[in-house]
Amino acid sequence: MAPINPRVNPIDHDYFPHERRGSFSVIGSTVQRADAHGHVTGRTRFFEDTAPRGLLHLKVHRTTRHHARINSVDVTAARQVPGVVAVLTHEDVPNNWYTVLRLIGIEPDDEPVLAEDRVLYRGEPIVAVVAETEEAAWDGAGRVVVDYTDLPAVLDVEEALAPGAPVIKQAGTNYFVYEGHHCRRVRFGDVEAGFAAADHVFSWTYGSAPIEHAPTETTGCIVVPQGDGRLRIHSNTQAAFFTLDNTALIIGRPFADLQVVGGTVGGGFGGKVDVMVEPLACIAATVTNRPVQYSYSREEEMQVSSPRAAERIVITDGVLDDGSIVARKVVLYVDAGAYSRHSPYGTTKAAAHFPGPYTIPHVHIDAHCVYTNRTPSSAMRGFGVTIGDFALESQMDRIARELDMDPLELRLKNAYRDGDVKAHRKVASGTGLIEVIQRAADLVGHELAAESRLLSSTTPREG
Amino acid sequence: MLTAVLVPESLDAARAALADEARPLAGGTYLMPRLNDHATPPTRLVSLRRVGLDGIAVTADTVSIGATTTLARIEDDERLAVLHSCIRSIAARPVRTLATVAGNLFVRQPYGDLAVALLALGADVEIRGGAGPRTLPLDRMLSAGLAADELVTGVRFDRPAVFRYHKAGRRRFNSASIVTVAAVLSVADGVVHDARVALGGLAPRPLRCEPAERALVGRPLDEASVRAAAHAADPLIEPVDDAYASAWYRRRVFPVHLRRALLGH
Amino acid sequence: MPSQIVTLTVNGSPQELIAHPSTTLLRALRENLGLTGTKRGCAQGACGTCTVLLDGEPVVSCLVPVVTVDGAEVTTVEGLADADGGLSPLQQAFLDNFAQQCGFCTPGMLMTSCALLRRTPAPTRDEVDEGLSGNVCRCTGYEPIVAAVLDAAGRTSAEVGS
Ligand SMILES: Cc1cc2nc3c(=O)[nH]c(=O)nc-3n(C[C@H](O)[C@H](O)[C@H](O)COP(=O)(O)OP(=O)(O)OC[C@H]3O[C@@H](n4cnc5c(N)ncnc54)[C@H](O)[C@@H]3O)c2cc1C
Ligand code: FES
Ligand code: FES
Repeated sequence: MAPINPRVNPIDHDYFPHERRGSFSVIGSTVQRADAHGHVTGRTRFFEDTAPRGLLHLKVHRTTRHHARINSVDVTAARQVPGVVAVLTHEDVPNNWYTVLRLIGIEPDDEPVLAEDRVLYRGEPIVAVVAETEEAAWDGAGRVVVDYTDLPAVLDVEEALAPGAPVIKQAGTNYFVYEGHHCRRVRFGDVEAGFAAADHVFSWTYGSAPIEHAPTETTGCIVVPQGDGRLRIHSNTQAAFFTLDNTALIIGRPFADLQVVGGTVGGGFGGKVDVMVEPLACIAATVTNRPVQYSYSREEEMQVSSPRAAERIVITDGVLDDGSIVARKVVLYVDAGAYSRHSPYGTTKAAAHFPGPYTIPHVHIDAHCVYTNRTPSSAMRGFGVTIGDFALESQMDRIARELDMDPLELRLKNAYRDGDVKAHRKVASGTGLIEVIQRAADLVGHELAAESRLLSSTTPREG
Repeated sequence: MLTAVLVPESLDAARAALADEARPLAGGTYLMPRLNDHATPPTRLVSLRRVGLDGIAVTADTVSIGATTTLARIEDDERLAVLHSCIRSIAARPVRTLATVAGNLFVRQPYGDLAVALLALGADVEIRGGAGPRTLPLDRMLSAGLAADELVTGVRFDRPAVFRYHKAGRRRFNSASIVTVAAVLSVADGVVHDARVALGGLAPRPLRCEPAERALVGRPLDEASVRAAAHAADPLIEPVDDAYASAWYRRRVFPVHLRRALLGH
Repeated sequence: MPSQIVTLTVNGSPQELIAHPSTTLLRALRENLGLTGTKRGCAQGACGTCTVLLDGEPVVSCLVPVVTVDGAEVTTVEGLADADGGLSPLQQAFLDNFAQQCGFCTPGMLMTSCALLRRTPAPTRDEVDEGLSGNVCRCTGYEPIVAAVLDAAGRTSAEVGS
């Protein structure tokens, strides 16, 4: 008899009995993963397991400066390394400026594939070297000589927004512009009136550092020119069509010229959606008419792949003696690093996520997407939300402590319910938060007051 | 770029190969990570894998270990139980199967945990160079280094009465050192008669700490004498910031780990 | 740059390959012999995805210049299953315990575990934690992998016992 897997939890039938339809043959039972047999036999094919004949390797020369003007780039010595077959600069990239989210209308194109006259973060790529072996490619990349004039670097979000800060972006502001505004804003009710009516006003600041996904398989691709002139891209991208479209736009070819073979990702966690390697590998494959691999080393993965953004969050709450939160003001600074990538979107997500799963009549949110001379940040598991939740729930615990209240009771009191209007004017439905808290309290043996037991997310709020 | 990896079959052949601007390669667990995925000047390596320098000899009083003996082999040898807590604190088995004793004497801090242990054990290092074999106390070799044509052929130490080893890392297993403490003690009639204390993670090299030893000798081994030893060591240590810990943190927690090493709590 | 012919016995069959000085055992297996089950996660000895058995002992193959192990016997993940494709008890335990998500760490985990169980056929939880400490998994949080190794140890001893 197969062992019963202790990790399968039975379905909890106590709540929402009318919500469930159907028999659920998969949820609540053990079903083997479709890809597991390949994993345990070593037969799963990751992108790097493609080994086309005549494979070339691409490595890039990266800047060692945080912020500098490039005076000159000398690739003579790189070209002379035995085995080097091509050296690419920004002049070889048909449409060098891009931003990945232009596919959903985000502007401007703020990032060069290869740096032109300046570098904005340490590790920014300047020159790509293509060679017969990885060693020759590293060697060539190491021999590129760049002459710089250092510029003042901005390494902190609030410094970047301060009056008189050096402007590091060509668009003219150190922040992303949301439809003419300096930040993504949410306005609901009158937050100052809410503070005036409150018995207490609590204001605390939360901060986080960048977090690297560190997937066990580093970012990379192999591009193989096809007999019909198309390019086949074996990639570990998490977003095959996103990669295809952005790559086609950068290399100036029709979408139909590219084929992405992917879907097998050795750990992504959001870190493999930025289209960092495919465009250069495609250009190199076109220039040489040979297959080209461009993979990050572990060091590159740690240093230059986009991490989760560092955030700084100031939450100010107006609270009544009974624990009702009547006003919440949030100021968020997302450190996008040097370029946009997915941060304008993550910041919007954050703005939409505040003020959390609570019903608060007066809400004021300013979410700033700020540029600094740090590694560009981007997507990672719930980006825009995860750090915000850490801040919000820390704030709830601190308020409970200040009011000498049970932290779960405080949450139950403010928890949103079906039918409540949220700060961004959506009507909440299918909330379930109250029931989740009640069950969580049961599971850890935490006492709740009798009236909290009676609450339900489907009971309309009084008044 | 690696331009040659030679695999000589004898010590003499290895030394001859070294004369030609090459570096010794033992387990490679320190050298290879610095060569893989980096632009490096042309490099020639001489592998010591087949020169016949591995082996363990244990008598009633002494232990001799050949230079290329792997850490895994020490781990599997019950006669060397005294070194097991140290060995198991270094990397993990798939690295220890390659890593060698002599290699550990040349790695940069915060690596070099076995060197710290051997320093406390008062080990001698056997060296072969153009002028024939010579022996140096490990302490001296660590500060003076070797000539380009010299190789370590083995280490030797007397079996200790009491040996203490304690390493603090970022996690329970497989972390480079924040602080490593190794000590050989002899205690009689409740008083420390002799002490040799060596520290890792706290200076550019594994550090033999004589002031700490003097603070212990002639006193009972207790909280007070260990605190005095930590105090005596303080001016000697020069920890640095790295990915594992800050210099400030290392200095701050050193007395705690010295106490854990010497008193066991 | 002198190339050299290297002979290995890989998963029981004799193999010859041409190696450059910079050809590591990892690259020899993957690029020269097409055994791509062994993975490169870091090339720094730090992640364990490239672990294979070298003369029966686990090693990080990314740190071994292949010319230094001419004549050695190597076992890779491709050598774990029976000749007819039947999974080993360890592989089966990895399947049954859902000990993989992306699967990139799996070959290295299997090889390290295989060596661990040979040395310590009935390990404690603590011994498994220690034994796997050189292998990084960023997906699973390790719990199902540890469970799989303990499960495999139980299955193997049951097999021996019956
Ligand atoms: C993931 C990982 C974790 C690690 N963790 C630790 C740890 O916790 N603690 C620790 O101490 N170390 C650690 N190390 C470093 C390393 O594995 C060990 O220090 C090991 O003992 C080095 O030995 P080696 O034989 O591999 O050295 P090699 O890399 O072969 O050589 C190291 C140096 O010693 C020289 N050398 C080697 N043998 C001789 C000789 N006979 N004569 C003269 N010179 C010689 C070499 O030229 C080289 O300069 C770790 C390494 C890795 C990859
Ligand atoms: S690839 Fe060898 S240990 Fe990571
Ligand atoms: S399953 Fe993805 S790294 Fe382990």
